[in-house]
Amino acid sequence: MTMRWSRWNRLRWLAFGLLLANIQQAYGIPAFARKYGLPCSACHEGWPMLNNFGQHFKDNGYQLGNERDAPIYQDPSYWPIMFRTTPIWHRENNNRQIIDATPGSSNNGHVEASVTTSGFDLHGLDVITAGTLYKNISFFIQPFIGSSDINLAQSWVRLDNLAGSSWLNVKMGKFELDEPISQERSLTLNNTGAAYYTYFYTPPGDTNAFVGIGFPQLGVELSGHNDATRYSVAVVTDSNGGTGLPTNQAYDVYANFNQSFEVPWFGRQQLGAYGLFGRSPTYFQTNNGIPIPGTGQGNRSFYRVGAYGHWFVKQFDFYTFFMHGYDNVFLGNSVPANQPSLLPLGAVAPTFNGGFVEAHYNPNTRLIFLARYELDRMSRQANPSIPTNAGNLDTWTVGYRWYPIMSPRAGLAWLQEYSRISNAGAAPLSGKDDFHNSYLMGFDFDF
Amino acid sequence: MKLQSSFVAAGILAALMVSVGPLSGWAPADAPSSVKGTVKFDGAPPKPSRIDMSQDPLCAKAHSTPATTEDFVVGADSGFANVVVYVSDGLTNHNFQPPAQPAVLEQKGCQYKPHVLALQAGQKLDVVNSDETTHNIHPNPNNNREWNMTQPHGMPMEQAFAREEVAIPVKCNVHPWMKGYIAVLKHPYFAVTDKSGNFEIKDLPPGTYTITAWQEKMPPQSQKITVGTGEAKTLDFTFKQ
Amino acid sequence: MGTRSKLGSTAICTLLVLCVSVFAQETHVGNLVGNAKRGKALYTRYCIFCHGPYGDGRGESAPYLDPKPRDFTKAVFKCRSTPSGSLPLDSDLFDTISRGIHASGMPSWKPLLRQERVDLIAYIKTFSSAFQEEKPGPAVEIPPESPSNPESIQRGEQLFQSMNCWSCHGKDGRGNGPSAATLTDSKGYPITPFDFTSGSRFKCGETDRDMFRDLVTGLDGTPMPSFGSAMTADQRWDVVHYIRSLSNHKMHAKVKIEPVGQ
Repeated sequence: MTMRWSRWNRLRWLAFGLLLANIQQAYGIPAFARKYGLPCSACHEGWPMLNNFGQHFKDNGYQLGNERDAPIYQDPSYWPIMFRTTPIWHRENNNRQIIDATPGSSNNGHVEASVTTSGFDLHGLDVITAGTLYKNISFFIQPFIGSSDINLAQSWVRLDNLAGSSWLNVKMGKFELDEPISQERSLTLNNTGAAYYTYFYTPPGDTNAFVGIGFPQLGVELSGHNDATRYSVAVVTDSNGGTGLPTNQAYDVYANFNQSFEVPWFGRQQLGAYGLFGRSPTYFQTNNGIPIPGTGQGNRSFYRVGAYGHWFVKQFDFYTFFMHGYDNVFLGNSVPANQPSLLPLGAVAPTFNGGFVEAHYNPNTRLIFLARYELDRMSRQANPSIPTNAGNLDTWTVGYRWYPIMSPRAGLAWLQEYSRISNAGAAPLSGKDDFHNSYLMGFDFDF
Repeated sequence: MKLQSSFVAAGILAALMVSVGPLSGWAPADAPSSVKGTVKFDGAPPKPSRIDMSQDPLCAKAHSTPATTEDFVVGADSGFANVVVYVSDGLTNHNFQPPAQPAVLEQKGCQYKPHVLALQAGQKLDVVNSDETTHNIHPNPNNNREWNMTQPHGMPMEQAFAREEVAIPVKCNVHPWMKGYIAVLKHPYFAVTDKSGNFEIKDLPPGTYTITAWQEKMPPQSQKITVGTGEAKTLDFTFKQ
Repeated sequence: MGTRSKLGSTAICTLLVLCVSVFAQETHVGNLVGNAKRGKALYTRYCIFCHGPYGDGRGESAPYLDPKPRDFTKAVFKCRSTPSGSLPLDSDLFDTISRGIHASGMPSWKPLLRQERVDLIAYIKTFSSAFQEEKPGPAVEIPPESPSNPESIQRGEQLFQSMNCWSCHGKDGRGNGPSAATLTDSKGYPITPFDFTSGSRFKCGETDRDMFRDLVTGLDGTPMPSFGSAMTADQRWDVVHYIRSLSNHKMHAKVKIEPVGQ
């Protein structure tokens, strides 16, 4: 039983590693600055993080609403495509990694050791084109060229301000969900701290096809806003953004709502709530025992709900975020719904709680500091064989970004970050806590 | 004691007022001097072109023969008209009171009369519309407040310019050919040449002055001159292309 | 000792108080007071690329913009509620920043906090000494609107003719009058008269009251003059009604701005 748990655990962390490798990087879009003549700082607190003006610009369909938004008003020399890449130097360390006792030979068994790697690196190339196809028709296309593959990270069309109302906007395609704090626009890039773990959290032993709200999803979204209130409702196919209909007739619904209000002297404050309700398949039709993609069966439900806030105290701002998650017992134990006898003794639906606090200090348009603490705790494991603290994690991140130039044509940032995660009981041999840390420094440039 | 102290206070305040008041320190000379002369244009001036006023029939009918442009008006004896001749240096820093008599800018036959008007800072400017059509008077200053007013026939209008500026272009947006200039001086020692290019600056106190001649198309010219008490000096300017 | 020196200092203090009260011109919008120092940080973040670091409209992006960004050093503003030639009120600047200027590069800055917008105005006023030397004129009084009926529209049409509006705006209000091609703004850049048939939003506010006010104040810095003394209030309402009749489009307000008032 311990063996089974630790095998799932290793698989899970392998999946997590793949996930982090594929997390799309943060971006700002200089093409918008070139179109309107505004500096990056008009829309971004410190790009890629949006400020309130930039959020309204985005909610309005990347339009300023001054009747100069349609493509016909673009300067003939305007280049509407943005490129972005990050040449960096980074250092990774895992304090309890499983390795052969004798390198090159499996005869002497395994040991846990601290493994460090470092060097210069590159994160791949983001190519983004976004804006308006026509007045009140906006779009976004983002191919990502990684080290070994090219994939379409986002691709969507949005009909804005339907019936002349800012409350009705319909988006369809592959798009980032309207998360409380945008994963795509995260200020951090390092291997440990780039992702909001809570967005992607899956309980140990669970193989839910829906990995997390932090991945772009395929579906349709209805959203709206006015000066202080925002809402969005999305219906997506339960494939975690995977194309080609890999699951089957399983849909998730995501809704987000927030309200902002002004507090004298302090600044703007925002309060919100969200929920993701979905169903994922627990088994597939097979042929000769091999699952046939797109034939998902035995859908069972899960949800992620919570509340969040964005608080300002002059030039300090911080996010507080909370999530409560639940996966059905079959999803939680990776058991097909048509074979309930396979459920281990004492199997229950796993639940977890998680959240983070992220603080920023933005003294001027050229500098932003950040610090983040995130934690996830399993409140109920899927079955008694899983240790109580399995899957619990804590991460710390600190960093800053400095923008030596501020130009309406391109952006450059110099950044340094440090993150550390501790995974409870995840060391593969000793069962002790497992620590990863990452240090990263380098440039992020956006043209 | 109290009465004494209030007298002292009044005295201090009065002294302060007098020291910044406009009347002290500048007594007009008993025998005033003057500077007169002629501004000539040397060579063949550009020919004035005809103005097409057909856009506004009310303007066109005011001219039996078509009106011509007025940016280069040179008389038969090479006299250069519409040149502002003024003292640009040599006067002490003194607050000259503007005259009570307003200057008059008339819109007649859809042209500005005079084409170049000179007045003092703070002096009232009466703008008169003698035409049946509605004009729009729009000076475009660099050193004064810009304003833009519609003036139908007969509507009175009084304005003023607070600061010295040589010269402010004036246009009418309704009638694009209408162009004039207003030169604002902070002292009364200026003149605009007539059709023969003659000017006279009167009542000048004795001293050494720089006299500048400004024309709307040519670079300005300056000359130094010293005038004694009661002297009438002659000063000529010649512009050439 | 006592009396003379006391009097001297009283006189000096009185003079100082007089001087200070003339020159202490704060920025007030509603019950908010603007802070130019905070406004400078906001200007650097939001405004500097169009309006320039010296507020003269020569920002890095300005060569690519038409119309050009406002030159604050001249203290000449289009959208005001004060007579032609006068400085704007603080509330005029606030409304302009909040509303933006349609068909131009100036967006609506409503997503900024109200206090931030008031701070920006306080900073913008430091670009021209005119704000220290002069006070804005009295706000235009806007009487209740007269009824909009065919008679009013017809009177408006006659005024459109006799006031020579057609020479710039064209006989049908399309902005193609005989003078239109010659028009330049006060910086010398070509400028086109408004096309009333386009259904486009007016630059200084889109209600009838805004149009009435524009007729009285004129749009300083442009060829659009003030009709303050040239027409009576009823005549101005007639012209407003006529202009509305020229467009069949409903003018959608994307950004509803409640005028701040003083």
